[in-house]
Amino acid sequence: MAPSFDFASSLLCTEDSAVFDESHNNGGTMMSMMGVYEDTWSPRKRHFDEEPDELPLLSDESLAMMVEKECQHWPGLRCLNKLQTGDLDFGARMEAVDWILKVRSHFGYCSRSSLVIQNYLDRFLCAYELPKGRVWTMQLLAVACLSLAAKLDETEVPLSLDLQVGESKFLFEAKTIQRMELLVLSTLKWRMQAITPFTFLDYFLCKINDDQSPLRSSIMRSIQLISSTARGIDFLEFKPSEIAAAVAMYVMGETQTVDTGKATSFLIQHVEKERLLKCVKMIQELSCNSGSAKDSSASVTCLPQSPIGVLDALCFSYKSDDTNAGSSVNSSHNSPVAKRRKLNKTCGADLL
Amino acid sequence: MEKTGAGVVVLSAKEAFEKLEKVGEGTYGKVYRAREKATGKIVALKKTRLHEDQDGVPPTTLREVSILRMLSRDPHVVSLMDVKQGQNKEGKTVLYLVFEYMDTDLKKFIRSFDQPGQNIPPETIKSLMYQLCKGIAFCHGHGILHRDLKPHNLLMDRKTMMLKIADLGLARAFTVPIKKYTHEILTLWYRAPEVLLGATHYSMAVDIWSVGCIFAELVTRRALFPGDSELQQLLHIFRLLGTPNEEVWPGVSKLKDWHEYPQWNSQSLSTAVPGLEELGLDLLSQMLEYEPSKRISAKKAMEHAYFDDLDKRNL
Repeated sequence: MAPSFDFASSLLCTEDSAVFDESHNNGGTMMSMMGVYEDTWSPRKRHFDEEPDELPLLSDESLAMMVEKECQHWPGLRCLNKLQTGDLDFGARMEAVDWILKVRSHFGYCSRSSLVIQNYLDRFLCAYELPKGRVWTMQLLAVACLSLAAKLDETEVPLSLDLQVGESKFLFEAKTIQRMELLVLSTLKWRMQAITPFTFLDYFLCKINDDQSPLRSSIMRSIQLISSTARGIDFLEFKPSEIAAAVAMYVMGETQTVDTGKATSFLIQHVEKERLLKCVKMIQELSCNSGSAKDSSASVTCLPQSPIGVLDALCFSYKSDDTNAGSSVNSSHNSPVAKRRKLNKTCGADLL
Repeated sequence: MEKTGAGVVVLSAKEAFEKLEKVGEGTYGKVYRAREKATGKIVALKKTRLHEDQDGVPPTTLREVSILRMLSRDPHVVSLMDVKQGQNKEGKTVLYLVFEYMDTDLKKFIRSFDQPGQNIPPETIKSLMYQLCKGIAFCHGHGILHRDLKPHNLLMDRKTMMLKIADLGLARAFTVPIKKYTHEILTLWYRAPEVLLGATHYSMAVDIWSVGCIFAELVTRRALFPGDSELQQLLHIFRLLGTPNEEVWPGVSKLKDWHEYPQWNSQSLSTAVPGLEELGLDLLSQMLEYEPSKRISAKKAMEHAYFDDLDKRNL
């Protein structure tokens, strides 16, 4: 059976001038819905591979510079306060985060990508007031943040329509996403080289392992834990370096391969001791509660690899609706074939 | 000026600047010399049109701006002063990147020494090379690979002989675990052999190889390895440095695009780069090491004895 998506084809959204800069508002034009065309839509599912490649380790001085710079990219306590006091819609953010995680795993992007996307989302929400009561704006923001992160870091960038897989309530046109992208970029002052816990992780794991490369299983476990910290808001109070240090310490302690006292004395050269210990404790609690997370992770890796298999698997996630299926079939005749765009294909012409 | 809310009037890019002349054309748009009306300052405007049929902000623009935002302190990386949004005559959204203006680039500079026997003075070469190593060390220290170093991307001020690294649209943060290296990237003549042989990982060493090629070109005023295809590029390299084997480069024969190649012995670098002093040849040889992990780092290059007699106070 073909998958059908739960979208309301009759739903149209009026653009609100408060969301975009005034110069981009074309008199409040209606956004049109783009149809979903199953016949031609077959994004290639990449192998779900969390193992990082070997990277050049940050040097000691590079690490110091990154620690210095991370505050520029850290939503921090201000964002946490807004979420706790209800100034920011906690539920809408959670929904956006869940959607981001779903799309990320669909395209096989590494875990870092979802942290980058959430970094953009949280920094934007702290700096800019989205209009209340318009639920589509959070979704549009999530799409724009995901698009920006994909373009910054990935070598293959899906078309914006392909990005909007999953249970999106709304579908946005490319030009609408573009305008939101520009709003995000100017609001974040184009500081998009986000510093996340992954920036520091390899360095910390290596150093507390006596400069030996850590076990692959330790890296995998660390990635899993860091990804888990991102879903809720409890870890927003910690800087990326603090989270990375705490995860590294917890994971290496878990495997009994290092002296925790020795690890602590190294790590507190870079992060505050009290905050490190508090974060380790929270990681420990998170780890105890994340047994189901492991199962979820396992089921994700079990997804079939073939395009047809992927489509079948998606059926379990979406409601079946004859009316929508009919709409989708009709739409497919009117829509251009979506193509994956490779970056920099014109560079061959740029020879001296 | 910072936009703080709806209703605040912001000068459009068109109103804020007077275009003086077009000075270049890149992948995504034109580059103009312009004057900022409010201050009279001369700047370079890099114009990027956002096509609505494409998916938003181009990735190269996004990377270049965000990386330059990160590298804003070094005197040897071109300074991005502002990003402005505007509209062109047809009402399409346009981005203007506002850069400090530099009046020439290294490619033009090298070509300006066009008389037979007219060479770039050795002390000038040394100064330019030191600045290049310093700028690259700064990028690498921030986890940024340039990946497209070539004379055209190195801007210069002819009066002060200052050199600045530019065009970071292909640059990457190497803290990102990227599993692919897109081979179309990197101008062929300055491309490292591990890239040509299909290595799926890359490191800071790819930039150092490019720096070495530029170093040789400063001395001879001709490209060191001017290949016109990937295979020819490799053969150019092998003819001079010798065909690599497992002894000089462990793992080379396992690279994806490795084949059987004609077996050449290495030639002395001094035959290819006549006129470079002994210490310079030593530094160059360390930049052109086959094995990426053995190639000298930019920071170590700055400490090389070749630069000992250079007055570094203003660099």
